[in-house]
Amino acid sequence: MARILVADDSETILLLLRTRLEMEGYEVETAADGQEVVDQVSAATPPDVLLLDAMMPRKSGIDALRELRAAGIETPALIVSAHTEGGNGAEHEGLGIDGYITKPIDFDRLFARIAELTGPGPAS
Amino acid sequence: MLTGLAVIGVARFLQQRQDYENATARSYQREIQARDRLGRGEHAAAARAAVIGQQRRRTELRDEISSETRDTALLVGAGLIAGLTGAALLFTGLIASMRRPLEDLVEASGQLAGGDLDARVKIGGLSETATLGTAFNEMAGELQRRAGERDQLERMKDEFVLTASHELRSPLTSVQGFAELLLLEREKLSPKQAETVEVILDNTRHLVRLLNDLLDLARSDAGRLTIRPVPTDAAGLIEEAVRTMRAQFDARRQTLALKLETELPEIEADRDRIRQVLVNLLTNANEYCPEGANIGVKARHLDAEVEIDVIDDGPGIPEQQLAHIFERFTRGDAGETQRVGGTGLGLAISKSLVELHGGRIVAESTPGVGSTFCIRLPATATDRGEAI
Repeated sequence: MARILVADDSETILLLLRTRLEMEGYEVETAADGQEVVDQVSAATPPDVLLLDAMMPRKSGIDALRELRAAGIETPALIVSAHTEGGNGAEHEGLGIDGYITKPIDFDRLFARIAELTGPGPAS
Repeated sequence: MLTGLAVIGVARFLQQRQDYENATARSYQREIQARDRLGRGEHAAAARAAVIGQQRRRTELRDEISSETRDTALLVGAGLIAGLTGAALLFTGLIASMRRPLEDLVEASGQLAGGDLDARVKIGGLSETATLGTAFNEMAGELQRRAGERDQLERMKDEFVLTASHELRSPLTSVQGFAELLLLEREKLSPKQAETVEVILDNTRHLVRLLNDLLDLARSDAGRLTIRPVPTDAAGLIEEAVRTMRAQFDARRQTLALKLETELPEIEADRDRIRQVLVNLLTNANEYCPEGANIGVKARHLDAEVEIDVIDDGPGIPEQQLAHIFERFTRGDAGETQRVGGTGLGLAISKSLVELHGGRIVAESTPGVGSTFCIRLPATATDRGEAI
């Protein structure tokens, strides 16, 4: 069962993502901001995929990812953004971002991307 | 000075004429008085003498006056000539001293009209031109101040729209996401409940569309609507847009025919953005045309461009509306817009996007016959080279 760490500062969005991802058969962990992401990933075995909101208080998903990459953690990452346009180009360069998901979330697209990142069929 | 002299001459002439009139009037009065004194029929000689004397006096007076008049006329003529010469000299001087400041004003006005709000004139010369120059500079300063305020307001508005649409996106994500979640378990809902959830979803999608369009327009206004054009397979992109829309056309039993020229060149396009434009045009055709209408998409290679036409045999667009069709919030008839779910922003955004690509979009329509929306996009340079 692939593990996904989902980070968003909105509890409602976290609940939505958790529900949908669990219905798809994934194991879901949640974080309310970038600092929690860094703490959780550093404390235990990293998850299979990171699903991070780009804008969060305290520490953004982008800043959290930058710290994780600096610490040598190469977990695939998807950035959820309220912006309809993709990444900020140069600013996100070298962060190993595997895709952008815009809000409102197209779940079919999200599941397809996660499946690509976790390999054929949910990993065990 | 000289002009003054001429005026005095004219005044004197008028005074002479007045004197002559007065003298004539007085002499007649005296004659009548004499007749009264002598009585009717008597002292006719005295009366005759009086009349002769009167006539002589009149002749003398006339001579006197005519010589005076001649003098006056000469004086007036000289005055006028002198006056005109003086005036001409004066004008030459005036023109010379006004010319530079006026030329400066004309130039500065041109700069101001051209948008250079820093344009000012040097104050100098005659007091009149100096006053004019000062007034111009004050006006330019005021214009600059107001333009500054307006720019700041524009920036605040752009920022507001960008932030607001960003903030609205999160709650919309929740509403849409949970409504979709409910529909995933449709079998547990009553038909009425399922229908209700679908209404929620439809409206959420409409809100998202409106939000996306507003965001695009705000970006466009702020000069932040950017594209990343790359060589793109035109045919593939058109087919993709048509595929996206196929179900909507089927639902309204409309035909959607694709007629692409073989070997269309690649176009310089931001794939997502041009797909957005095509989907927008197809959505309009789908929604504004009645059930059973025929819609066609044609594409051909024209010189250094690819032309894509979206043609329908729908109700058409009245001429007056057609002129404003690419302006924001211009929409079809009020009756139609109730049924049609558009935002009134799609064509304005499409135009911005096509123009950002260095292309053009035009609309032609004949009410009762149909409409054609035509896009032209630049072909990729290498393909152009091969084509020539």
